[in-house]
Amino acid sequence: MKKRSYLNYFIFAFLAVTVFYPLAVMVSKVSWENFNSLVASNAFKDALSNSLFVTSISTIISIIIAYLLALTINRANIKHKTIIKVLITLPMLIPSISHGLGLINLFGNNGIISSHFNFNVIGPVGIIIGSIVYSFPVAFLMLDDGFNYIDNSMYYNAKILGMNKFQTFKNVTFCYMKKPIFSSIFAVFTMIFTDYGVPLAVGGTFITLPVFLYKEVIGLLDFSKGTMIGLFLLIPALVSFLFDTFSKDFAKNDGADDSEMKIENKYVRILLKTFMVIIILMLFVLIGSFVYYAFVDNPILNKTFSLSHLEYIIGDDFFAYFGNSIFISIFVSIIGTTIAYFTAYVTARRKSKLTKIVHILSISTLAVPGIVLGLSFTVAFKTSFIYNTFIILILVNIIHFFASPYLIAYNALQKVNENFEIVGKTFNISTFKIIKDVIIPCTKKTIREMFSYFFINSMITISAVSFLFSTNTMPVSLLINVYEDNLMLGEAAFVSLFILLCNVLMKFIMYLLNVIDRRRYKYGTNI
Amino acid sequence: MANIEVKGLTKIYNKKIVLDDLNFTVKDGEFLSILGPSGCGKTTLLKILIGIEKCDKGSIHKGTRNITNVDPAKRGMGMVFQNYALFPNMTVLENVMYALKLKLKNKKNARERSLEMLKLVNMEEHINKYPHQLSGGQQQRVAIVRTLALKPDIILFDEPMSALDADNRLGLRKTIKELQKQFNTTMIYITHDQEEAFSMSDRVMVMKDGKIEQIDTPNKIYNHPANTYVKNFVTKHLRDKVSSIEKCTGIDL
Repeated sequence: MKKRSYLNYFIFAFLAVTVFYPLAVMVSKVSWENFNSLVASNAFKDALSNSLFVTSISTIISIIIAYLLALTINRANIKHKTIIKVLITLPMLIPSISHGLGLINLFGNNGIISSHFNFNVIGPVGIIIGSIVYSFPVAFLMLDDGFNYIDNSMYYNAKILGMNKFQTFKNVTFCYMKKPIFSSIFAVFTMIFTDYGVPLAVGGTFITLPVFLYKEVIGLLDFSKGTMIGLFLLIPALVSFLFDTFSKDFAKNDGADDSEMKIENKYVRILLKTFMVIIILMLFVLIGSFVYYAFVDNPILNKTFSLSHLEYIIGDDFFAYFGNSIFISIFVSIIGTTIAYFTAYVTARRKSKLTKIVHILSISTLAVPGIVLGLSFTVAFKTSFIYNTFIILILVNIIHFFASPYLIAYNALQKVNENFEIVGKTFNISTFKIIKDVIIPCTKKTIREMFSYFFINSMITISAVSFLFSTNTMPVSLLINVYEDNLMLGEAAFVSLFILLCNVLMKFIMYLLNVIDRRRYKYGTNI
Repeated sequence: MANIEVKGLTKIYNKKIVLDDLNFTVKDGEFLSILGPSGCGKTTLLKILIGIEKCDKGSIHKGTRNITNVDPAKRGMGMVFQNYALFPNMTVLENVMYALKLKLKNKKNARERSLEMLKLVNMEEHINKYPHQLSGGQQQRVAIVRTLALKPDIILFDEPMSALDADNRLGLRKTIKELQKQFNTTMIYITHDQEEAFSMSDRVMVMKDGKIEQIDTPNKIYNHPANTYVKNFVTKHLRDKVSSIEKCTGIDL
């Protein structure tokens, strides 16, 4: 009894110190008398309306693309779904700034394609395209998951009841997909609204709210103004969080029909498949542009193969920065996975009033955008010993990415047979040993998923860490920004490729381990 | 030695009395069924007997020892669950050996004993399979010998057959009775199935709303029910059968 309370209090204290203390300090240091002048200023008004404009359009298009892709995967009789899903979600393995960079490679002032046609996408168009590429895979994963929850026998019922296609969509598909659709709209809106990687790369003079914040803080060191802007960035994230926490979920019954469903019209299926292939090809072109820029001496003047960019970044201590990132990511993964797993263990399997609060606190980290979190850490810990060290970078990443792995673990641990600990007790085996010998082995796949989520996101993040690094601790993702600022696109492309490769490798290792496990347990145990 | 004596056992949840002053004994080697509809408090009683929940009033004695506040591991009891609770990451043999290894502190002996036990329930062919490769009945057999191998004085069963189909139930009933005879283990068996309770038990305890309505041999309960509730409850399955025959045949019985 006592042990579990200690764990609860520890987690409670941990989240209080790392999430709420920095936010409170940040807000307390704002000089509010400037609030009115900030809100009334043209610079702020422009940034806000720019942000709302590009975010709204990108969100709509991103959700449409994601929905069509999820529909294709689930309803168009597709083979090799796993591989296709990996391809669709490739953009999640590179920093958002790289998406902007890819667009510059292709459609910038002297881009591979735009140079032939005399146009470029710098400005709102670029931000919209970049944001779509950055966000649609996330929406796709959410909607694809939503499709899995539909009880397909409902379609047969609809047929028996004589519903037409629209009625069926309204009463069956939409009924199940409502929540995933709204959740993904909120999530994508928040992602784009708070991202500054894409607009920094392709925005040009078109300033969005996060870029405005970034420039105030990095350029002018005006933390007070930065915080006030940050509060605006919190709003959509907060709305999104409240929606997810308080809206009802459609859970599938055990007996639900999950047989393969197919859109009956063959031509619609072909259309959807074609659309999917086009999207995947576009992603290849984007990533291909990195390869091209990385290995061509000068993409405009002399288009010859060259390793000069590689030589340059090696000379520029690239591997030191890369090492920093690997170091940070591995520690974030190990510590983050451990804390998130044990938190989820307590909240999923030891329910009490206190664990409910801990559960809400754990997922509330979703509501704090990286850039705001980074800013709050800067303000709160500037004078502490952890500032300018790896510790603060590791800590900020753990908090920034805590909610998703926590939820993955929470769901998995709830599904593990609730009697294992009792069996252990009657066998005179401690709960700790049962966790080690049974519960952890049963959730290995989940743990790997959590580990790789922490790792990949720590490799690609720029938002939370951009105010917190020092010359010795700078993560490699920030190098992209530096090179891009100096118009060294080949070097920036190389860095993006390295990060992508590293993350693909991580995914591949986890996939292999899962396959080995499946063989060992003869297909079935893993939850 | 393994007589259980329960005195004045009371449990209150949120000001609601779930178990109300229960008094009963279970004799050494006896098979006692606790029968009642869902919500009558039988699972709470089981949890208190095994020690994973505390009672608010009353005491539990095992022989001369007061075990009311003793740790579950030190009560000499085992438990069998409705959902088997076999460890999915271990084979059948590993499941049975897991706790035995620690108890005997000898892997070879644990293995031999596990194999012997598995043979008793005709599972020797399946020792290297994982639980998900077995049928529900087979899984429950493994779960029972896993508990039995540790030689507890008392085994508690929490509706162990409610997830099984009719064929498997009949087979498993027989197995449990045979094992009980062979090991002379006291068994306390929770069920809401009248037929199961009456066919297996030395005595049956009928519960309603946290109280004991009657505790006696199946024969006596059947022929001399203490009140109309018991009468209606224990004859329910018979009346169900009669009415379904009536419906099918159209003959008024």
